[in-house]
Parts: sequence; structure tokens; C-alpha cells
Amino acid sequence: MLDAVDHGGEMRVRVTGSRIDAAIATRFKDKLREIALRNRKPVVMDMSAVDFMDSSGLGAVIAVRKAMPENLPLILQGLTPNVERVFRLTRMDSVFEIRPAATEGPETT
Amino acid sequence: MTPTQRQNAEVKGGGRVRTQPMFHQVLSARPDSVRGALMDVRRRFAGEVSDDTLGRLELVLAEVMNNVAEHAATDAGGTVRRTLPQIHLCIVRHESGLACAITDNGISVPADCLLPRDLPRNDVADLPEGGFGWYLIQDLTQALCYYREQQRNFLAFSVPFAEV
Repeated sequence: MLDAVDHGGEMRVRVTGSRIDAAIATRFKDKLREIALRNRKPVVMDMSAVDFMDSSGLGAVIAVRKAMPENLPLILQGLTPNVERVFRLTRMDSVFEIRPAATEGPETT
Repeated sequence: MTPTQRQNAEVKGGGRVRTQPMFHQVLSARPDSVRGALMDVRRRFAGEVSDDTLGRLELVLAEVMNNVAEHAATDAGGTVRRTLPQIHLCIVRHESGLACAITDNGISVPADCLLPRDLPRNDVADLPEGGFGWYLIQDLTQALCYYREQQRNFLAFSVPFAEV
């Protein structure tokens, strides 16, 4: 469901499932919260494999954001159109930092 | 042969009857059944409507059926149900959009769900974690109507081909 890799300054989390829906929202939330709180680092979550998310999935992402210390960012990366739509229509795109998909090649952090 | 070709298989030249792709399924009000139905809907209409329309359709159907599943465990009096509600989902493509009808024998939908609504207050210090479902349903549909008859809820709406 989630692949987490420690990149020193930040945790990079890749969502490996294609759906964040009501069937897995609670498990997804618990797993992401565990990763975010255990490491105490900014989290960059790659959502480029997710082609469907409903409001329970959105609620899970928001719940994790709220559980994290305010000074640690939760950055969302590579939103597909169906996922971007949910953030946009609920205006949650103004709450999260949303980045385009990571490009291949040398890292430019 | 696709389902649409099959529907049209017996139709020969002359006064051609243009049939439209449709979908009908009965499912238990459980999150995993809802997921299965949504994936069937996606397969059924892929290539028949745009990805954008399909994405909006899937989101609306998910929100409606998740609501039924979420409230499926008990009846109106709060007693635990012996069997889960059954959802009947029907979708037909029309000229301007996808006409959907969803019925279920779960508890009735509170009236305020159908009233025009705003987003939950977007307070950065205390973000809402829920309350988006009916907002999304209202935002993405046209001609939304609801009634309850005997023990069933009837919800009908259209998902337009162009985003409202």
C-alpha cells in the first residue's frame, strides 16, 4: 500500500495501490500516520500510481496532516486527474503543497 | 463483441435504433462490493465516454454508495440489521450525460443532505476530515432528486459530459 524510503532530510512515501477508497481508507490512514510520526521529517508522498480517490481517502490524508506537527510539511506529488479533482473541488489544494510528478534524472533538491 | 455491439447486433440498416451503453448491478452495501461495482462501471464505460466524465461518474457513485455502506449496519431505530442493504445501480448514457439511478433499502437519507450546501469550513488550524461527500455529489451532478417509498431510497441524477 505504501513504500517509505528515508532520504535523509525527508521521507519519500510512494502509494503503491491504485485506489484510496472507503475499503482501505482507515488502513491507509494508520499506515501513513505511523510513517509520518515515527520519523519526524517532512513527508513527500508520490501519488502518481493512484487513479481513484474518494472523500474517505481525502479525509485520511487530512487526518494525517492534522496528526503531524505543524512545522513539518506533507507534500503531495504527481496527482493524477481523478485525484487532483478531489483536492480541487474541496479546495484542499490550497491546504497542501502539491508538486508535479517527479522527473527522472539527477535530483534537484 | 462489446456489450454495445451485442445490443445493436440485431439492428439492421434503415430505421436504425441507436442504443446507448447501459449498466445495471445489484450489490451488497459493503465497501469492497462498492469498489467492485465501481471497477465494473469503469470497464463498462471505458472508451464510451471520456476519461474526465468517467472520473466524475466514478467519484459521484462512490460517494453515494459509500454513504449507504457507511450506514448499513443498523436500521432507523438503531438496531443491528441481520442482512446488509442491497444497492441497485443503473446507468444509461443519454445525449448530454450519464443518467444514474441508485436505490437501496437502507435507512432514509437525512433531508439536509439534499439541500444546497457549502464546503465544510476550511480552517487551517482545524481542518475538516469529512463532510465532503454530499458536497461532491451536488457539485458533480445535475437534476439530483431523491424520494423514499416504503423501505427504499431512490436517488437519481445526471453526470454531464462537460464539467459543470
